[in-house]
Amino acid sequence: MISRHSEATTSCPVPYRRPNRSQRRVLALSQPFGGCPIRCQLPFVVAITPAPGRAAEGCDAEVTAPKDPLGECAVSIGFVNARAALAIRSEVDRVNAPGLGAILDAVIERHRSVVLDLGELDSMSGWGLGVIAAQASRLRRSGGTPTIRSPSDLVLRMLDISGVAEPPHISRITAISADTDVVDGALRLVVALARATVGGADGVSVSLRRHGHLATVAASDQTISDMDASQYATGEGPCVDASVDGRWFHAESLDTETRWPAFTPRAQALGINAILSSPLLAEGRPFGALNIYSRTAMAFAPKDQELASVLAAEASLMLTSAGVDVTDEQLSSRRNEALGTRRLIAQAEGVIMEREGVEADDAYSMLCDYSRRSNRPFRERAEDVVASTKRPQFDPEPGPRQSHYG
Amino acid sequence: MAEISATERPADLLDRYRRNAGLSHGDLWLRYFELGGMDDALELEAILCGAIQPSAHDREVIAHALNERFVEIGGNHPVPYSEIDAERRPEEKHGP
Repeated sequence: MISRHSEATTSCPVPYRRPNRSQRRVLALSQPFGGCPIRCQLPFVVAITPAPGRAAEGCDAEVTAPKDPLGECAVSIGFVNARAALAIRSEVDRVNAPGLGAILDAVIERHRSVVLDLGELDSMSGWGLGVIAAQASRLRRSGGTPTIRSPSDLVLRMLDISGVAEPPHISRITAISADTDVVDGALRLVVALARATVGGADGVSVSLRRHGHLATVAASDQTISDMDASQYATGEGPCVDASVDGRWFHAESLDTETRWPAFTPRAQALGINAILSSPLLAEGRPFGALNIYSRTAMAFAPKDQELASVLAAEASLMLTSAGVDVTDEQLSSRRNEALGTRRLIAQAEGVIMEREGVEADDAYSMLCDYSRRSNRPFRERAEDVVASTKRPQFDPEPGPRQSHYG
Repeated sequence: MAEISATERPADLLDRYRRNAGLSHGDLWLRYFELGGMDDALELEAILCGAIQPSAHDREVIAHALNERFVEIGGNHPVPYSEIDAERRPEEKHGP
């Protein structure tokens, strides 16, 4: 809920209106903003209006819900840890430029890393350029980093001419990458949830494959971290196997466990008797594991095993969204594979162009239709076409349908 | 799973299909690139948010990249290959 007027400090009255549904945007305004203790439920859009009279009273900006854009500047503000992101959503003019300056002032007071999203602006007035240039310069002087996100070509050129664009301060990034602290915090939450909800769980950890090695990124305690480390050191254990094979591993009782002879005695020495490791998967590829340890043999009932799977699936989704699911070598391998397929498709296009006397786009459409009708991946159909050059006559669709490429 | 309506803006429609396919922008771009797409990741994202109008060829490549993903997860080429195609089958409301 947005703070009511009475909740604002007396030195900083913050009039506001709850925005209607159409005015809402994705926004996280979760920290006190400048001198104004604004609290609101997310998402929310604010628009600032110039408040020259209030500046002397210590008010950074007057915040209202957007109405007519004339005279107001709609700005979305988000904070992720130490980083602030502002998206300017309407043109900056003579009337609203001071307000924008005030709100940037307030943000820079608290944040050394500021992302200014200009993706919704086609162009920028001199007023806007002046405000942004002044604030960017101020932020740099104080050791901070301003980043301009998604400027249009015209805006980028204007910023360049005005001297605001100083690589590497300006970058056409498409998204703010997930903050590592946020991801780690979410993983700690997953660990705490698993610890609290899975029956028999005495300790929980999350392992991720990073730079070719497994590492524990969240653990309920040091014993559990040591348990994971023992598996990495011996190269065996349910956590390692789940992370590599992408399957679920359950050691019901280490007394009778024979699959991991080097690791099992180490686990028993630390008092662990049962382990449940569920893989973290992205598009079917394993990139880590959720590990649940118990001091009691046969501790995990079927419902607990099911719950562990659900938590692992949720953690997988969260990590995939944050872009930490793909290891360097997986990415490299995937890119190489993509390049190979791309080359193959180009060859197949060439074959069809030559045979059918069509343009490249038409050749591509034929391949596409051909893949769709046969319900086989594009790559396989391209392979067929390329392989057909080694035969006297290419038969695209053996059987009743004999037409070319679809 | 939210239903997909053929009356949505073309860009919204494509992006909704992307979300239903469980692909991030990066995942989709790599698939699009693999199938011969020429735009970079930023341009693809711009297409999906409606900032850039894709060429007919790009539209086809994006649709096929999405459809291959849907086939992997049990669908049957739900994504129209062109806007004309989308208008022809407004009754279809697909998701994985």
